Amino acid sequence: MEILDKLINVALIAATLRTTAPILLVALGGSFTTKAGIFNIGLEGQMLARAFFAVIGSIWTGSAFAGVACGVAAALAFALAFAVLVVTFRANEVVVGLALNILAGGMTISLMKAIFGTRGSIVGHGIVGLPKVQIPGAQALLGSWAPLISGFTPIVYVAFLAVPLLVLFYNRTRLGLYIRVVGEKPEAAEALGISITRVRYIASLLCGLLAGLAGAHLSLGYITMFTENMSSGRGFMAVAILIFSNGDPLKVLAGCLLFGFADAFSLRLQTFGFPSYLVLTVPYVVALTALFALSYRARPKIIKETLASMQKLLSADRNSAQVDKNPQ
Amino acid sequence: MVSNAPGSPTLHSTAAMAVELTGITKRFGAFVANDGIDLAVRRGEIHAIIGENGAGKTTLMNILFGLLQPDEGSIRLNGEATVVADPAAAIKAGLGMVHQHFKLVPSLSVADNVFLGMEIRRHGLIDHKAQIARTQELSKRFGLHVDPTERVGLLSVGIEQRIEILKVLVRGARTIILDEPTAVLTPQESRELFQTLRSFVAEGMTVIFISHHLEEVMEVSDTVTVLRNGRKVATRPTSELSKDELVRMMVGREVSFDRRPRAAPDGDIVLDVKDLWARDDRRLPAVRGASFTVRSGEVVGIAGVAGNGQTELAEVLSGLRPASHGEAWLKGQDLTTLSPAAIREAGLAHVPGDRMVRGVDRNASIAANTLMGRQHRAPWSRNGMLDWKAIAGNAGALIKGFDIRAQGADDAVKRLSGGNIQKVVLAREFTNGADFLLIDQPTRGVDIGAQEAIHDEIMRQRAAGRAILLISVQLDELAALADRILVMFNGRIMGEVAGDDADEDRIGMMMAGVMPQLEPA
Repeated sequence: MEILDKLINVALIAATLRTTAPILLVALGGSFTTKAGIFNIGLEGQMLARAFFAVIGSIWTGSAFAGVACGVAAALAFALAFAVLVVTFRANEVVVGLALNILAGGMTISLMKAIFGTRGSIVGHGIVGLPKVQIPGAQALLGSWAPLISGFTPIVYVAFLAVPLLVLFYNRTRLGLYIRVVGEKPEAAEALGISITRVRYIASLLCGLLAGLAGAHLSLGYITMFTENMSSGRGFMAVAILIFSNGDPLKVLAGCLLFGFADAFSLRLQTFGFPSYLVLTVPYVVALTALFALSYRARPKIIKETLASMQKLLSADRNSAQVDKNPQ
Repeated sequence: MVSNAPGSPTLHSTAAMAVELTGITKRFGAFVANDGIDLAVRRGEIHAIIGENGAGKTTLMNILFGLLQPDEGSIRLNGEATVVADPAAAIKAGLGMVHQHFKLVPSLSVADNVFLGMEIRRHGLIDHKAQIARTQELSKRFGLHVDPTERVGLLSVGIEQRIEILKVLVRGARTIILDEPTAVLTPQESRELFQTLRSFVAEGMTVIFISHHLEEVMEVSDTVTVLRNGRKVATRPTSELSKDELVRMMVGREVSFDRRPRAAPDGDIVLDVKDLWARDDRRLPAVRGASFTVRSGEVVGIAGVAGNGQTELAEVLSGLRPASHGEAWLKGQDLTTLSPAAIREAGLAHVPGDRMVRGVDRNASIAANTLMGRQHRAPWSRNGMLDWKAIAGNAGALIKGFDIRAQGADDAVKRLSGGNIQKVVLAREFTNGADFLLIDQPTRGVDIGAQEAIHDEIMRQRAAGRAILLISVQLDELAALADRILVMFNGRIMGEVAGDDADEDRIGMMMAGVMPQLEPA
């Protein structure tokens, strides 16, 4: 019991919120492209590039927020490149996404070498991290529960506030509605004079904006450094969550919380002396299990259809056999 | 010829006309879809445009709605000369069009779909309540029963059509064009639609409605315009027309009687169809109790206005559609129990009505297309491997034998003209060794020269003792080739006419659903 208390407590939940935030932001960004009918596999690379440029911006300007702005600007540039290739030139979105992922990985490494003359990671150099927001009165109101709402970086609050805002966006605003229509039934959008190209560009840029914040959170949030490949598959996990949530903000939130919890839990397990390599697999195992469980529900339909077609084949054989027995 | 032919003084003042099209011509390559069509639609009437598939109805309406630009001719809307550059311009001018294929978003509610593109907003946010209320109001006023809050993905096609009509109304249309609106409806839904159309004209709106169903045109329209082969045949008040007059205008008076000489067929019965029933894609009965035989060395024709069950009959006989009742015996085997492949083995050759869908693979070569369906047989297949030399040799012989105009056997079928593609299909099917040939619209979209060649080939097959069922919407084709003509209407075989006295009036009456006198209706 004591161990369980140590494992699961307020600190763990607060850690869950913290680890959820970046993947939530990038997944919510991907929600725009998913809803607009673009399969954006490039989230991983976009996030990584942004983390890097946020660090650069932070070093050069000495301001964390300018760093975030720098990351977001890089994000928009990447998103624009993606949109030009995918929307205007109709390139295959998976190919472009993969290319951008590879580009981001290689570019950050070579730029790191060129600017800092190091490999591996950027630490120090005067990186300014994001401040933590202490909500006044939280301590008095919630006592030991205060860490649940107070003491996060601004980006964490942005991530969680974005969820209801996106729900509102998709249901009550014209742009949100058009993004859904363009993704679901482009010919309907076309017939009504909605520009598919314009809507997809906007969706790609909105995606870049949120993914940019997510990247900045990685490198300027709780640790102020950049390391090679520091997005460590979060972008891909976001893509998986998007496939299963169809980009619905609430489902995205649920999926990200699950992943965030597993992430935080695995960190906690490490302190109990479990082998760290095994522990690091926990979030991915949990996410895969959840996705498998979700997709398993879709299976009976396929089995049913297969059975039905087999039955049809068998009964046709039987009929022809009968005909053979008693011809006209 | 026509009551309001160009040049003759019009009976109504121009302002009373909602739509006036003058001399509309539209060509697609060498094909003339609309040939100098004049059309005047009075305000406040239901104006039906009737004609067979390919008569040019949809092209004309697409021009009116700005989806196509005419090569020649002019458009006046409510008396004003207008260039309808695109659908947006048409909508602005008070036109609305309900297409055959709906464009609704499944995950959105009915009201959201209705107002898509012109949302009601308050403080920048979409006002769902107001949209629902307005949808409700319109739906009540015109008898278009829908629940505005339901998701469209869960609804039937009939209700989807109501939503499309509501979309048009919300955009302020005063003249509403419906393209084959009843094609997707049940009879009950069709009746409700007609009531809605009447409530439109009661409010002073104008309805233009495209159809190839005589019954509903007679029932609901005030005026009928008949199109045939891209030309206008006539515009008349519906009350002055009888159904068989209408049929004659639709299918054409000039039935040419260049009948092919022949000896009377006296072969054995090859195909014996007994009380055959089948449903269409909407699960409604499309073939109702068809019974007939086809003998060796005989051409039996099936006549009828398109969409009266001929397609479904052909699909049942070729195994593409299940029969709901009845039998079809081909040389001792009941086709209704067999798969398409087994039916072909049993002795069917099939020239499908739509050659591009079921006749050929347009991207494959002529050689591959002449092989399809018999790739497992010798000499084309040996030890489970295809012998392409033999296949190409055979294709070359067929290209010569059937006079297919192509560069060679490796030519992709899509590079050929319609007539030559049809010859590829005929070449494959007629050399199949089958005893029964099911031939559906063999000369649709085929030029005159190729038509002659195809007719000659069918007669050669007849002389070789094949049993032939020839389905065609062209009466002259049937009169030239068939030994007997069966007339289908509404899924039933209305009667039979001997080929050598193909009485056009009698066939026309039966095509319009009037039984010959001997059989009570």
